[in-house]
Amino acid sequence: MGPMAIAVSPATLVARVRKIRRGDASTLFVLDVQMEAPPGISILYGPSGAGKSTLLDCVAGLAQPDEGRIAIDGNAIFDSEEQLNVPPQARQIAYVFQNLALFPHMTVEANLAYGLVHEPEQTRDVRVSEILKMFRVEQLRHRKPREISGGEQQRVALARSLVTQPRVLLLDEPLTGLDAELKGSIIDDLRAWNAAHKIPILYVTHSREEVDALGERVIALEHGKIVSEGTPREVLDAPRRRWLAQAAGFENLLSGTVLDLREPDGVMRVRLVDAACEIEVPLGHAAPGDRVRVAIRAGDILLATEPPRALSARNVLEGSIASIEHRGTLVIARVDCGVVFTVHVTPGAERALELGVGKKVWLVLKTHSCHFVEG
Amino acid sequence: MRITFRCVMLLSAMLVFRPAGAAQEIRVAAAADLQFTLDELGTQYEKQTTRKMNVSYGSSGNFFAQIQNGAPFDVFLSADIEYQRKLEAAGLAEAGTLYEYALGRIVIWMPANTRIDLAKLGWKALLDPSIQKIAIGNPEHAPYGRAAVAALRSAGIYEQVRAKLVYGENIAQAAQFVASGNAQAGILALSLAISPPMREGKRWEIAPNMHPPIEQAAVILKSAKDKDGARAFLTFLKSAEARKIFESHGFSVPAPGRASAQPQ
Amino acid sequence: MNIEALLLSIRLALCVSAILFVIGVPLAYWLAYSRWRWKFLLEAAVALPLVLPPTVLGFYMLLAMGPRGALGKLWYGAFGHGLAFTFAGLVIASVLYSLPFAVQPLVASFETVDRKLLDASAVLGAGSMRTFRRIILPLSVPGIITALVLSFAHTLGEFGVVLMVGGNLAGVTRTVSIDIYDRAQSLDYAGANRTALLLLVISFIVLSAVYGVNRRAGRRAWAPWPLR
Repeated sequence: MGPMAIAVSPATLVARVRKIRRGDASTLFVLDVQMEAPPGISILYGPSGAGKSTLLDCVAGLAQPDEGRIAIDGNAIFDSEEQLNVPPQARQIAYVFQNLALFPHMTVEANLAYGLVHEPEQTRDVRVSEILKMFRVEQLRHRKPREISGGEQQRVALARSLVTQPRVLLLDEPLTGLDAELKGSIIDDLRAWNAAHKIPILYVTHSREEVDALGERVIALEHGKIVSEGTPREVLDAPRRRWLAQAAGFENLLSGTVLDLREPDGVMRVRLVDAACEIEVPLGHAAPGDRVRVAIRAGDILLATEPPRALSARNVLEGSIASIEHRGTLVIARVDCGVVFTVHVTPGAERALELGVGKKVWLVLKTHSCHFVEG
Repeated sequence: MRITFRCVMLLSAMLVFRPAGAAQEIRVAAAADLQFTLDELGTQYEKQTTRKMNVSYGSSGNFFAQIQNGAPFDVFLSADIEYQRKLEAAGLAEAGTLYEYALGRIVIWMPANTRIDLAKLGWKALLDPSIQKIAIGNPEHAPYGRAAVAALRSAGIYEQVRAKLVYGENIAQAAQFVASGNAQAGILALSLAISPPMREGKRWEIAPNMHPPIEQAAVILKSAKDKDGARAFLTFLKSAEARKIFESHGFSVPAPGRASAQPQ
Repeated sequence: MNIEALLLSIRLALCVSAILFVIGVPLAYWLAYSRWRWKFLLEAAVALPLVLPPTVLGFYMLLAMGPRGALGKLWYGAFGHGLAFTFAGLVIASVLYSLPFAVQPLVASFETVDRKLLDASAVLGAGSMRTFRRIILPLSVPGIITALVLSFAHTLGEFGVVLMVGGNLAGVTRTVSIDIYDRAQSLDYAGANRTALLLLVISFIVLSAVYGVNRRAGRRAWAPWPLR
């Protein structure tokens, strides 16, 4: 299985899109984004209704932005100022929909050949055979979509879109409903294909695992606006939005009020609601008196059974253990310092410190483990 | 809810119960081409008696079938005496009430704007090449249709015009075909030809001896509720006044003494 | 038993069904996919023949076919003779009368085709014609069959319109329904019954054959009315 001849050179997708949609009950939804997707996989991540599918539709030409410009490698396919709107048929962009949209009345082979109708028959047959092999669905050639499994359908949908050698690939939650193993193998196939054909791929997903497995770049979208972009670590590990924090697995999400800002030190002091404690968190866009939220990973909190001394950590809180739970080799302790913190320790630590309900403990939080979160 | 219920009850009551003591009315079933004639007769009749006349117009064939199945009419007037004779034979008509009230007449009719000089050409007018379609009643069951065909044969031009003939279900429909211009000429009942919508056209009367007589008859039905009223109506039909009205509408009236025609 | 009238009726029904297919499909396509804000007016117009009594429609057709009517003038100019009392006149009148029976099942069928399939087709490079030919039409076969069968059946049984514009010419416009009526009017009830029974039996056989074949082809269940 040799790599297929690359028809187009690698190119970046640049999109500036503004689209207003009137929902029911006079609600207004405004999609207003400016983004770049270089060759490789870019993840579009966000809650439902954020505008991810609308953005994909605009890039594919199935929806028309009110204003903006979309270009691949400098060649515009949509430009509101120039009144340019290339129809979807001519954009050479592949799109795998959430429901796959495989043509139910055609065989797998016919589905794959559908986009190649302008090629001479010989070329068509060769390309179809090659992609069948590459996605490991050769034996399904003569079956109809309803006769193959969910995972096989997803492979066929991917194959159908890629056989046309598109300049850009759009994927709208293509792996929902599949088990982890299947997802993994399809992702592998996609990466293999991507290695041979470097084109921008926009991948919409809700799943954290898929972000981790695929993501080179993540673009977080909320209410039609981009709220964060960067590597998965940047977007999810230093989450700027509560939903990102929740998605990224920050067990502690605390509310507090900003007391003051200490710019030279790069920190600000926050008084936690319901507690008499104050903690130092990295400096963020806030003013004294603002209500904020702070996200802290349970695994980033240290536990001490004696008041710690001479530590670099600036946040030491006194409290007592409210409960201890065992999940496999993870010990989850809930510590009440006025506010209840969730702390993860190892079973060895539990034994060594003789942790038990009611025991008085001290929590240590590094300033940089506290993430200031908006919303 | 309660208001709706009351309204429904009231409406139902109004539909079911009629105010008693309404003027007695006789129900007449009449062939469609008698419309204008019966309208005038009815006005006179109602002036002279206290009774009202309720007329249903339609095709004689349909009425015949309906009467056989119990349709509630008192008197049946048609353009073809055969229906009345059959009803009598079937015992559905009051014995001895069969009355031939008129003889139908036919004419050649053309729209007023025709270029053909109908008055001069008479039958020859139908041979004109601009006449592509000639409307007549259906000879299979319309007496005016049968008469038209007979007259065409008598005039010796039936074979020549046969291909141009189109058939109306009844003589009124034949008139409609010509009036709308789809047929360029027609052989219609005189009574229709002189009626208000058609009277502006050109007509040429066909001599009665060119076709078998179109005997139009009336009969009182056995199922009549108001036998007295029906008899009074029939008497009126035989009156001189009624006969004048018939003549003015294009029928010829048999001389008195032919009150109940015998089958020929 | 009037075979000539029956054959005439069948010929009329076949012609009308074929014509309704040819004009019904583009019309239904437009109605299904257009987003013109006044589309509903056209939908109402198409549905009008359902409401009008056939004799009323026939009467206005008669006027339209006459020398003063638009249609009549056109036809006379083209062919040198009138349109009423001809087989062509019956076809035109019947097409109008059965229009909603063809168009509505087609529209329903087109509308139930998954929009995403049409999007996928476009993205894969197919223009509207190819999308229509290869995606919409094959997936609308039940609706197409319904439209054809309804047009055929409705025309076969038609009476009022034919009565008004036909002129009852044997072999040309005397359809089987007119023939039955004629016999009843002539008091030949036995003849009327025989012809009516023949019409009933033949229609039943034809309809059963169509529905039966379609079911055996393994398609999803469909009905003579649009299934949503």
